[in-house]
Amino acid sequence: MSDLSADRVSVAFAGLSALSEVDLKVTSGQIVGLIGPNGAGKTTLVNVLTGFQPATEGTVRLDGQPLSGLKPHEVRRRGIARTFQGGRLFRDLPVIDNLEVTGVGLGLSRAAAIAEAEAMLDWVGIAPLADRIAGTLPYTDERRVAIGRALMRKPAFVLLDEPAAGMSAQEAQDLSALIRRIASEMGCGVLLIEHNVGLVLDLCHHVVVLDSGVVIETGGPAAIRASERVRHAYMGTAADTNLPVLEVME
Amino acid sequence: MSHPVSHGSVARRSIATPVLLGLLLVAFALVALAAGSKPFNQTIIDIFLKVIFVVGLWVFVGNSGVISFGHIAFAGLGGYVAAWTTIKPMMKGLSMPGLPDWLMQTEIPYWASAGLAAGWAALWALIFGSVLMRLSGIAASIATFAMLAMVNSIYSNWDSVTAATSSVVGIPIIRSIWPYLIAALIAVFAAWAYGISRHGLALRAARDEPTAAAASGVDIPRARLIAFVISGAIMGMGGALYAHSIGIVTPDTFYLGLTFITLSMLVVGGMGSLSGAVLGVLILSTLIQTLRWLEAGVEIGTTTFALPGGVQEIGLGVVMILILMFRPAGIMGNRDLSLPARAASETKGLQSPKT
Repeated sequence: MSDLSADRVSVAFAGLSALSEVDLKVTSGQIVGLIGPNGAGKTTLVNVLTGFQPATEGTVRLDGQPLSGLKPHEVRRRGIARTFQGGRLFRDLPVIDNLEVTGVGLGLSRAAAIAEAEAMLDWVGIAPLADRIAGTLPYTDERRVAIGRALMRKPAFVLLDEPAAGMSAQEAQDLSALIRRIASEMGCGVLLIEHNVGLVLDLCHHVVVLDSGVVIETGGPAAIRASERVRHAYMGTAADTNLPVLEVME
Repeated sequence: MSHPVSHGSVARRSIATPVLLGLLLVAFALVALAAGSKPFNQTIIDIFLKVIFVVGLWVFVGNSGVISFGHIAFAGLGGYVAAWTTIKPMMKGLSMPGLPDWLMQTEIPYWASAGLAAGWAALWALIFGSVLMRLSGIAASIATFAMLAMVNSIYSNWDSVTAATSSVVGIPIIRSIWPYLIAALIAVFAAWAYGISRHGLALRAARDEPTAAAASGVDIPRARLIAFVISGAIMGMGGALYAHSIGIVTPDTFYLGLTFITLSMLVVGGMGSLSGAVLGVLILSTLIQTLRWLEAGVEIGTTTFALPGGVQEIGLGVVMILILMFRPAGIMGNRDLSLPARAASETKGLQSPKT
């Protein structure tokens, strides 16, 4: 068992607070959701967890060891992988090469990287796309390539930044199934950042709600559903009884 | 598994590219042999040297996406290694009296000096690169230009070991085209081997999307440094052979003129592929040579037709503008030469290891 935690993490850009004393913990095999309105600081937190953004205060720990000062590639080599909003695939390279890059980046020979990339493409369900140039793929396939790329060499943790953005209900369902398998079959700890709150409440064991850089609620899906504060953050009013985003799930 | 492949097959699938490029170079050599004229021989030697320089440049620029204005400095370092190690000791004493005694007494064959030059240039690429490779984009390009200016300035003023701006003469001239052909083939195959290696793949990923490459575990400065050192070595080898082709070196032999012609050839050919690097040299060199020939005048019957002087430079400029207007990624773009049977499924040459 492994755990990844943020302890009282704060980030300030030129005096403006983006994150304020945020606590979060993910353990192996667990799916933790991170939700919140636009500008809540979700991606900033992912950037801190993966070495792209230094924390102004607080510490990120992997199994109790601080990760402070590590560069992104060093964080990845410790087994913390991520995806990006909008995919950020290597657009000029074929799909298989996109996955191979992680293999060689983590020290595999090209032969070994190819073998693992093929198995991984199969696992995420896009084996027939191996030779396609990544830049020519439709949206939903791009996401699967990005996830496959992150899962190469079986990281201990994977942070998915809005993997379902722009997907239809059916596509989001398929993606849910894949995310469940990442946790159950691979034993990965998953941090899921999503605007589709329905998807998050459906999938996650535990949910953290951010608003304006502050954790306003944590708990299981039922507690989040019932929370007045979450409703308020999303709606700006406590009067409504339904979260609008919940309708996406139905 | 749906795609049973192995590393051997990455090489096998893309080997057609260096082989075809190599055959093209051999064809140029055979044309020179058939023509049997001395000036034409020298032209072909010059083309092979440019192939070495542009391919050396491609290893770094093509794979990293960082334009380097500094690579000719490595050719210069190599050129002076040739001067230091192949000129007769007595002549060295006159022009470069400050050389240490052991170096003064050294007199090795041209091919050994080319090998030594590759190592010397690689060492300096490692030293400069350790600092420069942390930079990206235009900042990195400007820094490489500073490196070129720095090397030029040191070699232009360190008169006891470089004879400052005076020409260093007495480098044995090699007139046979074969050593240059062999060196060009070595450059092409080395560049290909680098391109299909794990380091080459990692660097191309960092070129396309640096953030995602770092998140995939790629140490970008290190990946760039590896390419920088290999390309420095190729440039060093080319610089030594360049010295042996003309018999003299000055610091300005390896400065702006050579920098811009080699970069132009790479841009026109297409910096996205090894084939672009080689074809850029062959096409632009052929064009320059044809225009020179027309300027000199062609006799048809009793009349001599000659283009006015200066047409060569103007013509070259116009062709380059046209190519960049209509094919901004260069003649080859990202494509590599491959056998027709594979061309359909494998348009990306080095970048695609798949059948």
